[in-house]
Amino acid sequence: MQYALLLYDDENAMGKDNGGSIYQELVKQHRAFSMELRASGVQVGGAGLRSTTSATTLQNTSNGRTMHDGPFAESKEQLGGFYLIEVPDLDAAIAVARRVPLSPGGSVEIRTVITPPKS
Amino acid sequence: MRLPEDGAADARVELARVFRAAGGRIIAALSARHRDLDVAEDALAEACARALEVWQRDGVPAAPDGWLYRTAQRCALDSVRRRQVRERLAPALAAELPPPPPNAEERMADDAALIPEERLRLIFVCCHPAVAPDARAALTLRLVCGLSTAEVARAFLLTEPTLAQRLVRAKRKIADSGIPFDLPAPSAWPERLDAVLSTLEVAYAKSHEDAAGAGQHAGYATEMLELTRVLADLLPDEPEVLAFAALVRYAEARRPARLDAGGAMVPLSDQDPARWDRASIAAGDAFLHAAARRRATFRGAAGAPGPRTLQAAIHGAWCARRNLAEPPPWPTVLGLYDALLVHRDDVVVRLNRAVALAEVEGVVAGLAELDALVDARDGAALAQFAPYHAVRADLLRRAGRVAEARAAYDATLALDPAPAERKWLERRRASLESDA
Repeated sequence: MQYALLLYDDENAMGKDNGGSIYQELVKQHRAFSMELRASGVQVGGAGLRSTTSATTLQNTSNGRTMHDGPFAESKEQLGGFYLIEVPDLDAAIAVARRVPLSPGGSVEIRTVITPPKS
Repeated sequence: MRLPEDGAADARVELARVFRAAGGRIIAALSARHRDLDVAEDALAEACARALEVWQRDGVPAAPDGWLYRTAQRCALDSVRRRQVRERLAPALAAELPPPPPNAEERMADDAALIPEERLRLIFVCCHPAVAPDARAALTLRLVCGLSTAEVARAFLLTEPTLAQRLVRAKRKIADSGIPFDLPAPSAWPERLDAVLSTLEVAYAKSHEDAAGAGQHAGYATEMLELTRVLADLLPDEPEVLAFAALVRYAEARRPARLDAGGAMVPLSDQDPARWDRASIAAGDAFLHAAARRRATFRGAAGAPGPRTLQAAIHGAWCARRNLAEPPPWPTVLGLYDALLVHRDDVVVRLNRAVALAEVEGVVAGLAELDALVDARDGAALAQFAPYHAVRADLLRRAGRVAEARAAYDATLALDPAPAERKWLERRRASLESDA
C-alpha cells in the first residue's frame, strides 16, 4: 500500500526562513533518511516545502476561485513536507514514521494514498 | 437429528447457542483468511439466516457449528468473488485468491481446529493502537467474542445506533489504513500488548459486573478464560499478561458465591470461601506466581509490579481466605491499593481504597477519603457514578448517619444498578429503616 507521511512542525520555532540551526540540522537528517528510504525501495516520492510565507491559497466559492496570500489554515504548526512510501501495511508505515526526522514538538501524520483500481 | 415438527423453536434456540459458542471463532477464521472484517461479519450473518431456514425445515444438523462455519465460508467466498467482478478485476487477479485448502472444511468443522492464533490475530487487529481506544473493546466483544451489537451496546451503556456507528468507523479505519491481519513482529509485542490488555480488561469488566455473572454475559467470561490462556501461552515472559490471566481465574472462581439464594449480590467480604472454585483459584495462583518469577528474573529486584499484577494480587489475597472465620485481608488489600494508585489514580481505585481504609482505620477515615474525592474530581460526574453512592451509603449507614445513608441509597438506586445489586441495596436500605 502507499502512504503519505505528512510532516508538521512550527516553522518559526525552527527558523525555517532565516537558516536556523534546528532547521539546518533537520535538512541534513532528511537528506540522509531519504537516501536510505530510496535505496531500500520504500520511498516513492516526497518533498520538503518552503515555509508558508510562500503559500498562496485558492478557495472555490460561489463566486469562483478566490485567491489569498498564506496557507489554507493558520495554525501553530504547518505542513513542512511529505514522504510518499510504498510498504505492505500500516505497521510498516508506522515503523518508517517512527524514524522520520522531526523537529522538537513536530508531528507526522500517516495517510493512506488512494490508488486507482488495477485494470 | 430432531423431529421437524418442533423444528422452528429448536432451530432458533440451537442457532443462538451455536452463534454464541462459535461466532467469534468463525469471524476470526474468516477475517484472517479474507483480511476483511465486513466480509467475515456479513458472511456469518448470511449463514445464520440460511441456518434458520434450513434447520427449521430439515432439523438441526449433528454438528451445527461445523455447518455454520462451512456455510459462512461459502458465503464469504461468494461475496469476495462478487466484489471482484464488480470491481472488474482482471481474471488473472481473481485467480490469485487462494483456493480453499482441500481439507479445510472438515478441519474447520472440528471446533478445536479453529486455532487460537487466528483469534489472537483478530485481537491484535481490534486492539491496534491506531484504532480509537473507545472502539477497541467494543470491536473485540463483537468480533472475537461474538456478542451482538445490541449486547455490546448494553454493556457500554450506549444506544445501539451509536455503538453501531462506532464499530463501522473502526472497521473502516482498519480497512482503509491497512492495519495488517498478521501477528505483530515479536519485537513489537510488548508495545502492542498494553493496548490488548487494556481492551480485554474493559471487556472482562463488562462481563463481570453484569448481575453477578448470572446473565448472558457469563458466557463470554468463559471466552476470557480461554483468550487469557492463549495470550499467556504466547507471551510467557510478560508478567502483566500472566497477572491478567490470574485475575480472570480468581474472579471466575468466586462466581458461584456472588449471589445468595434470593438472587441478591453478596459482597466479597461476606462470600463464603467454601463456595469458591478451588481449582480455578489454584490456576490463578499458578499464573500469579509465574508473573512474580518473571519479574524477578526479567527486571531485577528494582522491577516494581505493574498495575495488573497488583490487581491480581488483591484478588489473590481474597481468594487465599479459606473460611468466614478467618479475618478478611483488609490491611494487605489497603497496601496493594496504595501501590496501585501510583499506576492508576482513577475513581474506581480511589473508591476501593476508601472501602479498605474504612475497614482498617474506621468509617470516619473512609468517609473523609470520599469527601476528598469529591473535592479533587469532577463532582458532577461522580454524582452520576452509582458505585460512589453505594460505597458512601454503606459507610454512612455504619457511621449511624441514617438520613444521609438513606439519601445515598436512593441516589445509587436511581442510577439503575444491575438486578442483583439492586436487591442487595434495597435490602440494606430496608434494614436502615428498621434501625431508625
